[in-house]
Amino acid sequence: MFTTRRGLLVGAAVLTAAGCTRETAHIITSDADLTAALHAARMLAAASDALEFGDFAEDHRTHAATLERLLRPNVVGDQTGELPADAAALAEAEAAAGTAARDACLTTESDYAVLLAEIAACRAAHAAVLA
Amino acid sequence: MTVVDTGLAAEYAAIYAYSAATVHLDGDPRWIAEELESEHRSRRDALLDFYDEHGLEAAPSLAGYDIEPVADAAAAQELLLGIETSVTATWRAGVASTEPHEREICLRMYGDSAVALARWRLAVGRSAADPWPGRPA
Repeated sequence: MFTTRRGLLVGAAVLTAAGCTRETAHIITSDADLTAALHAARMLAAASDALEFGDFAEDHRTHAATLERLLRPNVVGDQTGELPADAAALAEAEAAAGTAARDACLTTESDYAVLLAEIAACRAAHAAVLA
Repeated sequence: MTVVDTGLAAEYAAIYAYSAATVHLDGDPRWIAEELESEHRSRRDALLDFYDEHGLEAAPSLAGYDIEPVADAAAAQELLLGIETSVTATWRAGVASTEPHEREICLRMYGDSAVALARWRLAVGRSAADPWPGRPA
Protein backbone atom coordinates (compact mmCIF):
# COMPACT_ATOMS: atom_id res chain seq x y z
CA MET A 1 0.00 0.00 0.00
CA PHE A 2 2.72 2.51 1.00
CA THR A 3 5.17 1.75 -1.79
CA THR A 4 5.94 5.40 -2.59
CA ARG A 5 6.88 8.28 -0.31
CA ARG A 6 3.64 10.07 -1.23
CA GLY A 7 1.69 6.93 -0.45
CA LEU A 8 3.41 6.63 2.91
CA LEU A 9 2.55 10.25 3.80
CA VAL A 10 -1.08 9.81 2.74
CA GLY A 11 -1.29 6.58 4.71
CA ALA A 12 0.12 8.21 7.83
CA ALA A 13 -2.39 11.05 7.53
CA VAL A 14 -5.26 8.58 7.17
CA LEU A 15 -4.15 6.55 10.19
CA THR A 16 -3.73 9.71 12.30
CA ALA A 17 -7.17 10.99 11.32
CA ALA A 18 -8.65 7.61 12.18
CA GLY A 19 -7.18 7.73 15.68
CA CYS A 20 -4.88 4.76 15.10
CA THR A 21 -1.77 6.42 16.49
CA ARG A 22 -0.17 5.47 19.79
CA GLU A 23 -1.08 8.05 22.45
CA THR A 24 -0.05 8.37 26.05
CA ALA A 25 -2.52 6.55 28.28
CA HIS A 26 -4.17 8.61 31.02
CA ILE A 27 -5.22 7.08 34.32
CA ILE A 28 -8.87 8.00 34.82
CA THR A 29 -9.34 9.04 38.42
CA SER A 30 -12.67 9.26 40.20
CA ASP A 31 -13.89 12.77 41.05
CA ALA A 32 -14.06 12.91 44.88
CA ASP A 33 -16.92 15.44 44.93
CA LEU A 34 -19.07 13.40 42.56
CA THR A 35 -18.25 10.19 44.45
CA ALA A 36 -19.30 11.73 47.78
CA ALA A 37 -22.49 13.06 46.17
CA LEU A 38 -23.22 9.58 44.82
CA HIS A 39 -22.82 7.90 48.22
CA ALA A 40 -25.18 10.48 49.75
CA ALA A 41 -27.71 10.10 46.93
CA ARG A 42 -27.86 6.33 47.40
CA MET A 43 -28.24 6.66 51.17
CA LEU A 44 -31.00 9.29 50.84
CA ALA A 45 -32.81 7.22 48.21
CA ALA A 46 -32.81 4.16 50.47
CA ALA A 47 -33.91 6.18 53.51
CA SER A 48 -36.67 7.99 51.59
CA ASP A 49 -37.97 4.68 50.28
CA ALA A 50 -37.92 3.12 53.75
CA LEU A 51 -39.85 6.08 55.19
CA GLU A 52 -42.29 6.10 52.24
CA PHE A 53 -41.27 9.40 50.67
CA GLY A 54 -41.30 7.81 47.25
CA ASP A 55 -41.15 11.01 45.16
CA PHE A 56 -38.09 12.22 47.07
CA ALA A 57 -36.49 8.79 46.67
CA GLU A 58 -37.00 9.13 42.93
CA ASP A 59 -35.16 12.49 42.94
CA HIS A 60 -32.20 10.84 44.65
CA ARG A 61 -32.21 7.88 42.26
CA THR A 62 -32.13 10.38 39.37
CA HIS A 63 -29.09 12.05 40.95
CA ALA A 64 -27.41 8.67 41.52
CA ALA A 65 -27.97 7.56 37.92
CA THR A 66 -26.48 10.80 36.59
CA LEU A 67 -23.49 10.64 38.92
CA GLU A 68 -22.82 6.97 38.07
CA ARG A 69 -22.84 7.88 34.37
CA LEU A 70 -20.43 10.78 34.89
CA LEU A 71 -18.05 8.67 36.97
CA ARG A 72 -17.68 5.88 34.36
CA PRO A 73 -15.55 3.90 33.80
CA ASN A 74 -15.11 4.00 37.57
CA VAL A 75 -17.65 1.95 39.47
CA VAL A 76 -18.44 3.17 42.97
CA GLY A 77 -19.49 0.44 45.40
CA ASP A 78 -22.42 0.72 47.78
CA GLN A 79 -21.64 2.30 51.15
CA THR A 80 -25.10 3.08 52.49
CA GLY A 81 -24.54 2.47 56.23
CA GLU A 82 -27.17 3.20 58.85
CA LEU A 83 -30.29 4.97 57.57
CA PRO A 84 -32.20 7.83 59.25
CA ALA A 85 -34.97 6.34 61.40
CA ASP A 86 -37.72 8.95 60.99
CA ALA A 87 -38.73 12.03 59.02
CA ALA A 88 -36.88 14.42 61.35
CA ALA A 89 -33.65 12.43 61.00
CA LEU A 90 -34.15 12.27 57.24
CA ALA A 91 -34.58 16.07 57.14
CA GLU A 92 -31.27 16.41 59.00
CA ALA A 93 -29.56 14.00 56.62
CA GLU A 94 -30.96 15.88 53.61
CA ALA A 95 -29.75 19.20 55.05
CA ALA A 96 -26.27 17.83 55.81
CA ALA A 97 -25.93 16.25 52.35
CA GLY A 98 -27.18 19.49 50.79
CA THR A 99 -24.54 21.50 52.65
CA ALA A 100 -21.82 19.08 51.51
CA ALA A 101 -22.90 19.41 47.87
CA ARG A 102 -23.07 23.21 48.20
CA ASP A 103 -19.55 23.35 49.65
CA ALA A 104 -18.32 21.10 46.84
CA CYS A 105 -19.91 23.46 44.30
CA LEU A 106 -17.84 26.34 45.68
CA THR A 107 -14.54 24.48 45.72
CA THR A 108 -14.75 22.12 42.76
CA GLU A 109 -12.19 22.47 39.98
CA SER A 110 -14.29 20.32 37.67
CA ASP A 111 -16.98 21.39 35.22
CA TYR A 112 -19.72 20.14 37.52
CA ALA A 113 -20.40 23.20 39.69
CA VAL A 114 -23.95 23.64 38.39
CA LEU A 115 -24.70 19.93 38.77
CA LEU A 116 -23.52 20.00 42.40
CA ALA A 117 -25.58 23.16 42.98
CA GLU A 118 -28.68 21.48 41.56
CA ILE A 119 -28.20 18.50 43.85
CA ALA A 120 -27.64 20.81 46.83
CA ALA A 121 -30.77 22.83 46.01
CA CYS A 122 -32.89 19.70 45.65
CA ARG A 123 -31.71 18.35 49.01
CA ALA A 124 -32.29 21.73 50.69
CA ALA A 125 -35.86 21.75 49.34
CA HIS A 126 -36.48 18.22 50.65
CA ALA A 127 -35.09 19.17 54.06
CA ALA A 128 -37.32 22.24 54.27
CA VAL A 129 -40.44 20.29 53.33
CA LEU A 130 -39.67 17.44 55.74
CA ALA A 131 -38.78 19.71 58.69
CA MET B 1 -25.23 43.00 32.91
CA THR B 2 -23.91 40.48 35.44
CA VAL B 3 -25.62 37.32 36.68
CA VAL B 4 -26.30 39.10 39.97
CA ASP B 5 -27.96 41.99 38.07
CA THR B 6 -30.20 39.45 36.35
CA GLY B 7 -31.05 37.80 39.67
CA LEU B 8 -31.85 41.13 41.33
CA ALA B 9 -34.17 41.98 38.44
CA ALA B 10 -35.92 38.62 38.92
CA GLU B 11 -36.39 39.34 42.64
CA TYR B 12 -37.86 42.79 41.88
CA ALA B 13 -40.29 41.20 39.42
CA ALA B 14 -41.24 38.52 41.98
CA ILE B 15 -42.06 41.15 44.63
CA TYR B 16 -44.22 43.00 42.10
CA ALA B 17 -46.04 39.78 41.13
CA TYR B 18 -46.71 38.80 44.75
CA SER B 19 -48.13 42.25 45.42
CA ALA B 20 -50.57 41.75 42.57
CA ALA B 21 -51.45 38.10 43.23
CA THR B 22 -51.59 37.56 47.00
CA VAL B 23 -54.82 39.53 47.50
CA HIS B 24 -56.65 36.91 45.40
CA LEU B 25 -55.62 34.02 47.69
CA ASP B 26 -57.19 32.58 50.83
CA GLY B 27 -56.25 30.03 53.47
CA ASP B 28 -52.88 28.27 53.42
CA PRO B 29 -51.83 29.57 49.98
CA ARG B 30 -52.47 33.13 51.23
CA TRP B 31 -50.22 32.97 54.28
CA ILE B 32 -47.54 30.99 52.45
CA ALA B 33 -47.60 33.60 49.67
CA GLU B 34 -47.19 36.34 52.27
CA GLU B 35 -44.21 34.50 53.76
CA LEU B 36 -42.62 33.96 50.35
CA GLU B 37 -43.12 37.61 49.39
CA SER B 38 -41.33 38.56 52.60
CA GLU B 39 -38.49 36.18 51.67
CA HIS B 40 -38.13 37.83 48.26
CA ARG B 41 -37.90 41.23 49.98
CA SER B 42 -35.22 39.84 52.32
CA ARG B 43 -33.29 38.45 49.36
CA ARG B 44 -33.52 41.79 47.57
CA ASP B 45 -32.12 43.51 50.67
CA ALA B 46 -29.30 40.95 50.94
CA LEU B 47 -28.47 41.57 47.28
CA LEU B 48 -28.38 45.33 47.79
CA ASP B 49 -25.96 44.71 50.68
CA PHE B 50 -23.85 42.60 48.28
CA TYR B 51 -23.67 45.54 45.85
CA ASP B 52 -22.66 47.89 48.67
CA GLU B 53 -19.96 45.51 49.97
CA HIS B 54 -18.43 45.21 46.51
CA GLY B 55 -18.70 48.90 45.59
CA LEU B 56 -21.17 48.15 42.80
CA GLU B 57 -24.18 50.08 41.59
CA ALA B 58 -27.49 48.22 41.83
CA ALA B 59 -30.22 48.95 39.32
CA PRO B 60 -33.48 50.20 40.86
CA SER B 61 -36.72 48.31 40.45
CA LEU B 62 -39.02 49.31 37.61
CA ALA B 63 -42.37 50.99 38.15
CA GLY B 64 -44.12 47.94 36.70
CA TYR B 65 -43.48 44.48 35.26
CA ASP B 66 -45.22 42.61 32.46
CA ILE B 67 -47.28 39.95 34.22
CA GLU B 68 -50.43 38.06 33.30
CA PRO B 69 -53.65 39.67 34.56
CA VAL B 70 -54.80 38.07 37.82
CA ALA B 71 -58.58 37.60 38.05
CA ASP B 72 -58.94 34.86 40.63
CA ALA B 73 -57.13 32.46 42.97
CA ALA B 74 -56.32 29.94 40.25
CA ALA B 75 -54.67 32.60 38.11
CA ALA B 76 -52.78 33.90 41.15
CA GLN B 77 -51.47 30.41 41.96
CA GLU B 78 -50.32 29.82 38.39
CA LEU B 79 -48.67 33.23 38.18
CA LEU B 80 -46.71 32.64 41.38
CA LEU B 81 -45.73 29.13 40.29
CA GLY B 82 -44.31 30.62 37.09
CA ILE B 83 -42.55 33.35 39.07
CA GLU B 84 -40.91 30.93 41.51
CA THR B 85 -39.82 28.67 38.66
CA SER B 86 -38.38 31.62 36.76
CA VAL B 87 -36.50 33.03 39.78
CA THR B 88 -35.04 29.59 40.54
CA ALA B 89 -33.93 29.18 36.92
CA THR B 90 -32.29 32.61 36.98
CA TRP B 91 -30.23 31.86 40.08
CA ARG B 92 -29.33 28.39 38.82
CA ALA B 93 -27.84 29.97 35.69
CA GLY B 94 -25.83 32.36 37.86
CA VAL B 95 -24.04 29.48 39.60
CA ALA B 96 -22.09 28.90 36.38
CA SER B 97 -20.21 32.17 37.03
CA THR B 98 -16.45 31.69 37.35
CA GLU B 99 -16.17 34.77 39.58
CA PRO B 100 -16.08 33.38 43.18
CA HIS B 101 -18.17 36.11 44.86
CA GLU B 102 -20.81 35.89 42.15
CA ARG B 103 -20.97 32.12 42.30
CA GLU B 104 -21.27 32.20 46.08
CA ILE B 105 -24.16 34.69 46.19
CA CYS B 106 -25.94 32.98 43.27
CA LEU B 107 -25.57 29.60 44.99
CA ARG B 108 -27.04 30.97 48.21
CA MET B 109 -29.95 32.56 46.34
CA TYR B 110 -30.46 29.42 44.26
CA GLY B 111 -30.79 27.22 47.35
CA ASP B 112 -33.28 29.63 48.94
CA SER B 113 -35.32 29.93 45.75
CA ALA B 114 -35.46 26.14 45.29
CA VAL B 115 -36.89 25.88 48.83
CA ALA B 116 -39.46 28.60 48.02
CA LEU B 117 -40.41 26.81 44.78
CA ALA B 118 -40.93 23.51 46.65
CA ARG B 119 -43.04 25.22 49.32
CA TRP B 120 -45.22 26.91 46.72
CA ARG B 121 -45.67 23.69 44.75
CA LEU B 122 -46.90 22.00 47.92
CA ALA B 123 -49.16 24.97 48.74
CA VAL B 124 -50.96 24.59 45.40
CA GLY B 125 -51.30 20.81 45.68
CA ARG B 126 -48.33 19.66 43.62
CA SER B 127 -45.41 17.46 44.56
CA ALA B 128 -42.38 19.26 45.95
CA ALA B 129 -40.11 16.70 44.29
CA ASP B 130 -37.86 17.94 41.49
CA PRO B 131 -34.35 16.51 41.00
CA TRP B 132 -33.09 19.56 39.08
CA PRO B 133 -34.79 22.72 40.43
CA GLY B 134 -34.90 25.49 37.84
CA ARG B 135 -33.28 23.45 35.06
CA PRO B 136 -34.84 24.39 31.70
CA ALA B 137 -37.11 21.62 30.38
